[in-house]
Amino acid sequence: MKKASELNFGEKGTIKDIITLNPSYKRIIEIGFTPGQEIELVNTSIFNDPLTFSLRGTLIAIRKNQADCIIIN
Amino acid sequence: MSKTPLINLVGPPNSGKTTLFNIFSGKHFKTVNYPGSTVEYSSSDFLDKFNINAKILDSPGLISLNANSPDEEVAIESLFNQPNNGIPDLILVTADASQITRHLLLTKQLIEAGFKVILVLTMIDILNRKNLKVNTSLLSEILGIDVVAVNGRTEEGIDELTVKIKENLSKGKNIPDHNILSTFKDKDYLINTFEKIESISSKVIESVTPDIENANKQLNIQNPILRESTQKPDALTLKIDKYLLHKYFGFIFFLLMMGAIFTSIFWLAAPLMDLVDTLFSSLANYAAESLGNNWFSHLISDGIISGTGAVLIFLPQILILFLILGLLEDTGYLARGATLIDKPLSMIGLNGKSFVPMLSGFACAIPAILSTRTIPNRRERFLTIFIIPLMSCSARLPVYVLIIAYLTPPDKPWLAGFFLSFVYLISIILSVVVAFVINKFNKSLIKTQDDSSFILELPTYKLPKLKVVLRNSYENSKEYILRAGPIILVLSLLIWFLTYMPNHSPEFDKTGMTEEEIILLEKSERISNSYAAKIGIFIEPIMNPLGMDWRVGVSLIAAFAAREVFVSSMALIFKVTDDENIQNSLLTAMRDAKIESNGEPLFTTATSIGLIFFFIFALQCISTIAVSRKETGSWRIPILQLTIFTSTAYLFTFLIVNVLRMIGIN
Ligand SMILES: Nc1nc2c(ncn2[C@@H]2O[C@H](COP(=O)(O)OP(=O)(O)OP(=O)(O)O)[C@@H](O)[C@H]2O)c(=O)[nH]1
Ligand SMILES: [Mg+2]
Repeated sequence: MKKASELNFGEKGTIKDIITLNPSYKRIIEIGFTPGQEIELVNTSIFNDPLTFSLRGTLIAIRKNQADCIIIN
Repeated sequence: MSKTPLINLVGPPNSGKTTLFNIFSGKHFKTVNYPGSTVEYSSSDFLDKFNINAKILDSPGLISLNANSPDEEVAIESLFNQPNNGIPDLILVTADASQITRHLLLTKQLIEAGFKVILVLTMIDILNRKNLKVNTSLLSEILGIDVVAVNGRTEEGIDELTVKIKENLSKGKNIPDHNILSTFKDKDYLINTFEKIESISSKVIESVTPDIENANKQLNIQNPILRESTQKPDALTLKIDKYLLHKYFGFIFFLLMMGAIFTSIFWLAAPLMDLVDTLFSSLANYAAESLGNNWFSHLISDGIISGTGAVLIFLPQILILFLILGLLEDTGYLARGATLIDKPLSMIGLNGKSFVPMLSGFACAIPAILSTRTIPNRRERFLTIFIIPLMSCSARLPVYVLIIAYLTPPDKPWLAGFFLSFVYLISIILSVVVAFVINKFNKSLIKTQDDSSFILELPTYKLPKLKVVLRNSYENSKEYILRAGPIILVLSLLIWFLTYMPNHSPEFDKTGMTEEEIILLEKSERISNSYAAKIGIFIEPIMNPLGMDWRVGVSLIAAFAAREVFVSSMALIFKVTDDENIQNSLLTAMRDAKIESNGEPLFTTATSIGLIFFFIFALQCISTIAVSRKETGSWRIPILQLTIFTSTAYLFTFLIVNVLRMIGIN
């Protein structure tokens, strides 16, 4: 089981599930992180947090601890 | 008689709601490429040319009908019951066509809740760049509502939308079902809905060049290119972000950019400032000459023209600051900036989303405090509001520029620019320290705690729309003048009165004096017997430890109404009318000013630097206090801000002046 926060820079993955690890998990689904979607880690800032993902044709930045909710294949 | 119908604009952040609102209402509200640029509701009638008898209401961005914060709760509730208006007659829901699979969630929820909805697909030009388009009639059929594609920048599609609005309004009102909201909270519901939306969007998104598509269909190819390209972010944006979001260069670029903004304010504005100065000083001279040497002439030339002129000289700088910030906002870069410094800000209890409000705090604290509404977490929001008054707002520019001009030789403008950047840097560092300290005492000071999060969409880069940005800067500057202008005028008159009366025509032996000497002596006689001087006796004990006298004290007190008043008040108290320009004659007067009790120079290097520090800290702005009260919901925070910042200002000035003197800088 791998989390989106563990992706490497430029690595892609397909979302398998969103777990309720962080209270904002619902908002994470609502902005489009849903099972079956392919995401790519396109930026890790100099501090390695937040992480920017490419998802559904946009770029979305979320914190590392929020990316922990996103389980990928 | 029926009420005027209400049309509510609803949609995800940055989806083009305000752009539509402005088109229909003819207003010029701020539209920039940053999710969360609208934080307040505003309503308007339609322009006559649309011939729609209804009110249109713009609202802050909404991601779904499932509230994630108290503010969202209010926003969602108000859809079901607009204060004063009840249920909106029609909802125009916007969705960014280039992000249709994310933006249709809200539309689906609104339809399911039973609202009467028209879907407006915006940013079709961006979708076209990917060689794609939306089949609106098919989408309309699937969703069961009217769908119109609109390009907010060229106004293409507005005519069709106008027709549809009229049709929908004529069909009567729907009553939405509030109970359905609870089902929107369910995780499975959300995932299911997204699946439905994906199947819809794969049907309605078509290639702009249908020939290839048809060929594909015949060959039974499931359109892999189409799927691929809707799933890929804008290619240009990705390319630019390779550099601007580069792990290391990205941050360096960010710092350089911020530095460049603040130094350029000084450079770009200089020629314009000279222009305004020349204008006002010739106006003052003209008034003085044509009205003669009497109280009325003094009131007009010294009291009104020089007083307001001393402040308006800085309008070009303020305008340029708004302009640069506006341009930067509209490119889409600011969201990147917020992402880049989320981590460091979170370490002092702030949020990446505090960045834009803090940055706009350099223009003016009032819109800055309002824009903190995009920070979902209350603690972080309150802390951001707390430190915004420390950002060097444009009202402080006149004061800094005056004192810096006093301290630096006029033939070295770069030194002044450098000095000003340094003042900005200090104010940033101090606000970080304050945030850190306040955050430590968070429990007793801010008194609220909840989960911190950061989710921000990085918008597609856009070429800033110069017309819109110019318009915004113009509106902002106008607002600045309208807000500060009357205060400056009234206080200028008050200070003029206090320094001119009661000994308005001093009697003394004038034999053997030139006319010029008489005017000068009259002035000093008048002021040393004035009401202001009498009040000054009470302030002296407070001002003396700072190495300053009552004249500076009176100006500082006047500046509590608005900071710029300091400059106009100084101009009134110190200015000697002559044919130099306003700023120069004020500088000369400052150079000659002596402390009355001991005859020592009043404005030394030490006291001038001390004054700068006083202005860095002190919360001297009634409007800021009022907005802080409104946005935090109680007097706690504004009172804390006022007392903490103002007492620190005094303490710091005291320390700086006296330490500088001790080490021999006077
Ligand atoms: N290319 C393009 N840009 C658009 C279009 N409509 C709006 N924009 C731009 O998109 C950005 C956001 O527009 P706004 O009208 O401020 O969006 P909003 O929905 O009010 O945003 P928030 O108030 O932040 O929720 C601005 O830079 C607009 O100029 C469009 O049809 N095409
Ligand atoms: Mg808006």
